[in-house]
Amino acid sequence: MREILRHTPGKIFVGILFLSVVGMLFVTRYFTAKILVFGWMTLPLFAGLVMTLVWLVAYLIYFFKYWPYR
Amino acid sequence: MTILILALFGLAILGMAAYGYKVSAKTAEDYMLAGRTIGVVVMFFFVLFAVSSSWTFYGYPGFLYLHGPSYIYFVWGSVAGFAALYMFLGPRLWAIARLNRFLSPVEVLAERYESPFLRVLLSLMLLVFIVPYVGIQPLGVGLGFKTLTGMPIIVGAAYTVVLLVILVILGGMRIVAWVNIFLGSVYASALLGSLIWAFNRLIPGGLKAAAQTLMVQNPEMLSAPGPLGYFTPVVIGGTMVVGLMAFSWPHIVIGVMTARDKVLFKWFPILIFIFGGVFFYTLPFIWGSLVAPVVMPGVTGKEAADSIVQTIITQKLPSWFSVYVLMGVIAAAVSTAAVQLLTSSIIIARDLIQGFFKPEAEDSKIVKWARWSVVGITIISLVVSLRYTKAMALYLTEVTIPGFAQWGPALVGGILWKRGTKQGAIVGTLAGLIYLVAGLLYKPLFFGMHPVMPTIIVNMILYIVVSLFTERPSEEIKAKFFDEVEEFLEAD
Repeated sequence: MREILRHTPGKIFVGILFLSVVGMLFVTRYFTAKILVFGWMTLPLFAGLVMTLVWLVAYLIYFFKYWPYR
Repeated sequence: MTILILALFGLAILGMAAYGYKVSAKTAEDYMLAGRTIGVVVMFFFVLFAVSSSWTFYGYPGFLYLHGPSYIYFVWGSVAGFAALYMFLGPRLWAIARLNRFLSPVEVLAERYESPFLRVLLSLMLLVFIVPYVGIQPLGVGLGFKTLTGMPIIVGAAYTVVLLVILVILGGMRIVAWVNIFLGSVYASALLGSLIWAFNRLIPGGLKAAAQTLMVQNPEMLSAPGPLGYFTPVVIGGTMVVGLMAFSWPHIVIGVMTARDKVLFKWFPILIFIFGGVFFYTLPFIWGSLVAPVVMPGVTGKEAADSIVQTIITQKLPSWFSVYVLMGVIAAAVSTAAVQLLTSSIIIARDLIQGFFKPEAEDSKIVKWARWSVVGITIISLVVSLRYTKAMALYLTEVTIPGFAQWGPALVGGILWKRGTKQGAIVGTLAGLIYLVAGLLYKPLFFGMHPVMPTIIVNMILYIVVSLFTERPSEEIKAKFFDEVEEFLEAD
């Protein structure tokens, strides 16, 4: 983590992950709506899948292109 | 036939343990950390199925069934917590342990903070929270045995204990990790297979048909706060924070120290996100939040809800498939309990016995103590679990996870923050622990929050403030735990 926060790409990476967690907490207020994404996905499932994909993409870009210990 | 299949399954596990004993190097490093040779694929199965206990088959779908889909936030928090452990803490913890030949994460922190007292404190604290957890797994299997065969719970529990003890005593960390691949494959295929079968046989219209049925018959199952009004936005957020603390589970932290090289930390998160987050944990979610409420609505009570998946499989699917699913549950229980048992035995042998009474002990002695403590821990954990059966389900979420979290600030600070001091670690950990115990005895002290939240905040604040007001760690410690580690990780 120390090595990640030492350079700009690392700070952006951690910032994206942090914002996605904040976003996960923020969207809980909409979970009372009975909305089904793709006809079956409830909102808590969909929100988590989006967060996981955001983490996956951010991680792939950072760890394979910028991580100092790669 | 059921008995024969389960006997063969048990023999396969024991055969692997015996093979592991034959090929092991008989050193403490080999027994406790698999000689630090675990690669990315084995590590993934090792960690995923160390985490995925029988809870993923009973407690998780059961809670979804009773309270709706928002409980999945615990899983999303856990996915982020595990990924964070491997991305942020893992490389440094692995490098520190490798450079200094440390065998336990408690040993790492005791040396980092130069505090034998902290070593005892963390060892005892982690043992208190992990040991009863071990006993829950055999009892879970016993319950499955009873449902399927009608035999008393003790038969299934005894079967699991025998497998566990022999596997851990003979095999050590390397074979526990390898066996987890086998056990994990059985468990994942049982979970996926039962879900596909249930859709084919019971809900031919698939996921959409299940969701549409619920929309008409029981729409509260598709949204917050759920049928019983439990999941308010604050509770959902708290559930995710509890999941995030997964980075502090000791039996997962120790896995980091078994890594073969730093490349593992570059690749490992892919598997956490894709296989763990998107695929594996979605299976019990679909079971508990969509399939079970459609196929068997109206079940009330925690105990009945916890066994809802097994009840459906036993009643609606072919009997031979029930046996396979029970094998999956046994696999989940053994894979988790084995790692917990091994972690506990390492803490006892390395941190308590060698750390205090026999510092000059040879490898063979340490391994011997670890093996003996496996037997002792198993007996204690079973006695505790049998004595307090009804309290055990709550123990996991209300006690064990908040308990594990209390070494989180000292762990993170010790690895990432040069300014963290011995006094900060001791005061923070003790305050969090005392607050947790007091709050469990007198609930209003938690102010309506999950026990993790207020205790970890107090722990963290005290760790930081006391560290800032006490003498800085020595230059020697900074060099050993930071400068040399960074040089090592930067080298090719």
